[in-house]
Amino acid sequence: MALGGAVRAGSIAGIVTIYLALVGLVERFDELNLIGTEVTFARLALIAAPLVVGLALARTRVVGGESSTPSVREATISGAIAGATAGVVVAIAVVFADAFGIERIGSVFQNADAGLLAFLTFDQPAAVAAVIHVVIAAAAGAAAGAYRRSPAAIRKPVGAAVATTLALGFLQRIVPISLDQLNVERDWLYSKRTGGLTWIGAIVVAAVAAALSVAKARGGGRLRDRLRAPSVLGDDDRSELFGRAIPWRALAFGVGFLLVLTVPYIVGSVVSEVLGTVMVFALLGLGLNIVVGYAGLLDLGYVFFFAVGAYATALLTGATLNTFTGSAEPVIGASLNFYLAIPIVVAIAAGAGLMIGAPVLRLRGDYLALVTLGLGEVVTVLIASPWLVPLVGGPNGMRNVPDAAIAGFGFRDPQHFFYLALAFLLLAVFISRRLISSRIGRAWTAMREDEQIADAMGVATTRYKLLAFAMGGAIGSLGGALFAVKIGSLTPASFQVIVSIQVLGLVILGGIGSLPGVIVGSLVLVGLPGLLREFEEYRFLAYGAALVAVMILRPQGLVPNVRRSRELQDEEQMQDAWARQKSEEEFEEPPVEPTGGELRA
Amino acid sequence: MASAEPARVGDVQLSRFETLPWRRIILVFLAVTITVVVALGAYQTLTLDAGEGGLSTSAWRDFTVLGIAQGSILAMIALGYSLVYGILRMINFAHGEVFMAGAFGSFFFANAYAQSGFLNDNVVVAMLIVTVVAIAISAGTAMLLERVAYRPLRNAPRLVPLITAVGASLFLQNTFRGFFGPQPRGFPKPTVLEGRLDLLGVPVAKTQVLVFVVAVVAMIALELFVSRTKTGRAMRAVAEDREIASLMGIDVDRVIVITFAIGGVLAGIAGVLFSLTFEQVQFTMGFRPGIAAFTAAVLGGIGSIGGAALGGFVIGLLQAIGPALFLTGFGIPSPFSLRDAFVFIVLVLVLVFRPGGLLGSGEAEKV
Repeated sequence: MALGGAVRAGSIAGIVTIYLALVGLVERFDELNLIGTEVTFARLALIAAPLVVGLALARTRVVGGESSTPSVREATISGAIAGATAGVVVAIAVVFADAFGIERIGSVFQNADAGLLAFLTFDQPAAVAAVIHVVIAAAAGAAAGAYRRSPAAIRKPVGAAVATTLALGFLQRIVPISLDQLNVERDWLYSKRTGGLTWIGAIVVAAVAAALSVAKARGGGRLRDRLRAPSVLGDDDRSELFGRAIPWRALAFGVGFLLVLTVPYIVGSVVSEVLGTVMVFALLGLGLNIVVGYAGLLDLGYVFFFAVGAYATALLTGATLNTFTGSAEPVIGASLNFYLAIPIVVAIAAGAGLMIGAPVLRLRGDYLALVTLGLGEVVTVLIASPWLVPLVGGPNGMRNVPDAAIAGFGFRDPQHFFYLALAFLLLAVFISRRLISSRIGRAWTAMREDEQIADAMGVATTRYKLLAFAMGGAIGSLGGALFAVKIGSLTPASFQVIVSIQVLGLVILGGIGSLPGVIVGSLVLVGLPGLLREFEEYRFLAYGAALVAVMILRPQGLVPNVRRSRELQDEEQMQDAWARQKSEEEFEEPPVEPTGGELRA
Repeated sequence: MASAEPARVGDVQLSRFETLPWRRIILVFLAVTITVVVALGAYQTLTLDAGEGGLSTSAWRDFTVLGIAQGSILAMIALGYSLVYGILRMINFAHGEVFMAGAFGSFFFANAYAQSGFLNDNVVVAMLIVTVVAIAISAGTAMLLERVAYRPLRNAPRLVPLITAVGASLFLQNTFRGFFGPQPRGFPKPTVLEGRLDLLGVPVAKTQVLVFVVAVVAMIALELFVSRTKTGRAMRAVAEDREIASLMGIDVDRVIVITFAIGGVLAGIAGVLFSLTFEQVQFTMGFRPGIAAFTAAVLGGIGSIGGAALGGFVIGLLQAIGPALFLTGFGIPSPFSLRDAFVFIVLVLVLVFRPGGLLGSGEAEKV
């Protein structure tokens, strides 16, 4: 059974590798150097699928209630078999492409060209390349299997070293700029010639990460305990200052907040620009989180509120229409100050939420999803239609949205915009936190868990659904308002259905109902593609894969909602941790599906 | 699980209506307003002179024919939604991409045949091969989708497979974009299908005749398959009650895969017909027809074959005639740019007033 499983998983990995090559994720990124010129993204993509399969095969299985964990040797062997199978599949494809003629494949698959073949054959004859593929993939699978089953004392430092080095390699657009801003010598770490890490830099980073990991394992838990539970450790004399317990947690928050305030000037203008977009999407995510995460209503037309917020802000603050000859005044408009316009925008969005919510909210989840998708599309079609040109400029859009300056301090500069966005974001986080802890939040939770029981218990479900729709819409419109101010001009191209799906994706990736999750989700899904411009074309591919993979492998998201576990008493917390550990042991990752591969690649 | 509640829920809703009459008043008001606006728009349009943008009789006739042809394509896609919904109580959001996959896959064969001349020399054989390819790719995509994105989540909360469906839809679209490029490709059309036929004095494009005939044949075949064959009976049993069907010895997983495959077969045929009609394929082509077809399925009564067919024709006609008929009268420029907005508004209205669909029971049994 083990052999058959390994061969089957290996074949899937091989097909995934071929898929990656054909979809263009391999060859095009041969130039993206991560470490030196030897470790490139493309080469990593080549061994990604065997690695993932090797890791997956080394998991603990539960068969008929008995859990069986493979030994290091078994894990290595099954990983090697799977990797070798994947290598064979790829090798067959390479030999076939070489014999059949890559141009003929290229006439259908746009990425299959001589360059791809050269990369996949390592500039060797096809037969030699085939052997290399099998060897490399087998080695990758074996290494992954051995890694997962090695003792923690080895596994953790190795994992930390590899992950940190690769992360720094990927962040080659941000970290060097930040180091320059701080006037830190960085040529030893990042090579100007290759763009990626130098080998010396990579080795230093890996060593530091491994050392930190060892240090953490030796006794780093104490600091974390202090941050988590100050009251328990309060009678410990070392943590007292002038006879009073040191508020570790408040201190940590304060320091963290100050650090956040300096971020735009550490990372520089380009990254601040991306961060601004991230924060706009985080704001949208917080709004959608209320609708999807708290109230459990799947809204696929969230772009509706984004558009309403942006266009309402533009109209109320005195923006003009784009025309062929210049600009024109919209038929309805005002020239309010941005901060006076915001409450009106929010009211409009909340009202719009009520209006579209009222007829459709009695529908069950999946119908609601389609109807909201439809309404989002209606908005997209309407703002682009010639009919509404006098109001919103139609396909040409609007421009001259005034800056939201306070006493001459403008926010159009990306580094300044960060603070405006941060203020809005903190407001939205505050509102979300208070809402979910309130009576309303409990009603939403009850409704989400079981609507009929909530109804029977006296929760006015339709009313609370409407409220969630209006609240979510109001926060989403703040995102739209920020967007209008940030960009200064609006076109229908910014308000496509894909925005709804992006926002949904970040809420789900981060963890449905989790506020830190929204932030992490937008950093990953909006920030990373914004910084790695090469991936622009593939971001939606990754979104799709991420949505499927997260739902199957980790439905709770990257940063699950921890509110409840924090409120629990210590004892319960320990019980919880025990239960969690237990369940993790039993239900470690299910087998990797083909779509899961891309996400990790 | 899901089918254990209907009767009681109906009662609760009825009482809600009785205690909150304002809701019903709003709905009636809404219905009256829409009727008046639609009637007024249609009246004004029909009384316009040709010089003011009024349309001639032959234009209306062409719109109607176009609507029927589009409607038959929509009906075939709608059947895919309807079949899957009937069995899994789940909207296969990625079905539009299944349709796109078939159309795109068949494009390469059609293109190669057009270049070699085989397409025009042996029209029937060539088109049969192209269609079989489209069917194979669409059905394969649908089955892969079921296996990868839906089967692991068979017992998850209802929203979970819907989210993976959205993800799978995005993934498929961008896979095709990555494989074959973002630009639209011209789909070759056999010369035999150029030109028009004269049916009872009405000139109809030959492709439209083909589309209609193929769609009707396919739908009759499906109806016969579901009502006469053993597999069809198994499908109906699973749709009725999955647990009891499995106790009766029906392999539920197999039936579900077959259902997806049949939806894929119909989507593949629809893909070829769509490409022949519009002579173009692109990776985004599945989205709008997908939504329109879903609307058609809901409009006709989701889960019923006749309903999907009826809904398809109604939506097709509405798309072709509606904007011109109801909007031109109000002097709205280029009404056809609002075509999709039209479909969505119809979707909302159907769900609000008759969630069971035209052929459904009138109450939202799944609410």
